[in-house]
Amino acid sequence: MRIHQYEKLWIVGSMILIVGFIVTITYGSVGLGITMIGDEEETIAPDELNDDEQFGEPRVEQVGENEYAAYVVAQTFIFQPDPIEIPANNEITFYVTSRDVIHGFYVPGTNINAMAIPGQVAELTVEFDEPGEHGLICHEYCGSGHHTMEGLIVVQPEDEFDLTELSAETPDTVTSGEQVQLNATVENGQLEPLETTVNAEIGDQTFQQDLTVDGKSTQNVTFTAESTQLGVGEHDWTVTVDDYEETGSVEVVSNETAAAEGGEES
Amino acid sequence: MGSRVSREIGHDEYDPWGTLSLIVIYFVALTLMWLFTYFIEFIGNTPTVMGMIVPVMLG
Repeated sequence: MRIHQYEKLWIVGSMILIVGFIVTITYGSVGLGITMIGDEEETIAPDELNDDEQFGEPRVEQVGENEYAAYVVAQTFIFQPDPIEIPANNEITFYVTSRDVIHGFYVPGTNINAMAIPGQVAELTVEFDEPGEHGLICHEYCGSGHHTMEGLIVVQPEDEFDLTELSAETPDTVTSGEQVQLNATVENGQLEPLETTVNAEIGDQTFQQDLTVDGKSTQNVTFTAESTQLGVGEHDWTVTVDDYEETGSVEVVSNETAAAEGGEES
Repeated sequence: MGSRVSREIGHDEYDPWGTLSLIVIYFVALTLMWLFTYFIEFIGNTPTVMGMIVPVMLG
C-alpha cells in the first residue's frame, strides 16, 4: 500500500496532538497534583447529621501542620458554617454533605465545584494562595429559595488566622460585700500552643493575666473584684483576648435589698 | 459537444497543498485552543482541587 506523503504528514501530526493532550493531562495530575473529586468517602445518614462527630457541629478544624479540615453542611437554603474562615497558604480539605436535598458547592471563578448529595460526603482539597473573600453558591436547583442560597469563604492571612474562642460570664447579681467573680474561658482549636494575654475590666477595675493554652484545649481564668469597692449598682465588664471581646454587666445589690428580695421570695 | 481533455497523473504528482494547508491551520488552531482551555481556563482558575492521583484511580 502506498500512502501519499501529505497523508503521512497529517497522520503523524494527529498522533503528536494526541500524545500532546495526554502529556499535558499527565503533567497536570502528577506534576501539579490536580485531581478530581472522588467518591472514596464513607456514606452518612442525612437525618443523623446532628449526632455525627464531624457534621454535628459544622466547623473548621486543624488536622496537621498547614492542614485544615472544613466540615460543611448544605441545607435549604444555607451553608453551615457561615462564614467559613480559613487561612491562606494552607491545605484545606472540605467535607461537604447535605441534610435534605441535592445542593451545589461552587466558588465562582474557581475550580471548586462539587455536589452536596444527602448521604454522600464530597471531599476536596484546595489551597488558597491569597487572603480575601470568596462567595459560595448553590448551583443545583434545590427549591424555592435556591437563588438566595449562598455562603462566604473568608481566607485570612496565615499569621492572623486562629481558632481561638472566648466566652465569659459573671453572676447576674452579687450582694454587696461578696466577691464578683468573672470567669473567662479561652479555647484554642489549633495544634500549636496559644500564648496570649487576657485583659479584663470590671467597672473601673482592670486586670491582666498572661495565659498559655495548649493545642486543642481550653483554659479558665477567674478575675475577682471586691463588690464593696465597686459599689452598689450596675457595672459593665469586658474581657478581651487578642481580637476577641466579651462584654456583659453585673449588678451589685446592697445587703438590705438582697434581704428584702430574699424575704419576698420566701 | 466539446472534446473531453483528461490527463492521468501518477501517485506522487498529486499535490493537494490546499488541503494540506487547511489541515495545518486546523492543527494549529486545535493546539492553541487546547493550551488556552487547559493552562489558562482550567489551571488558571485557582484554587483547583488538589490531591493524590492514587485514590482517584483506585476509586
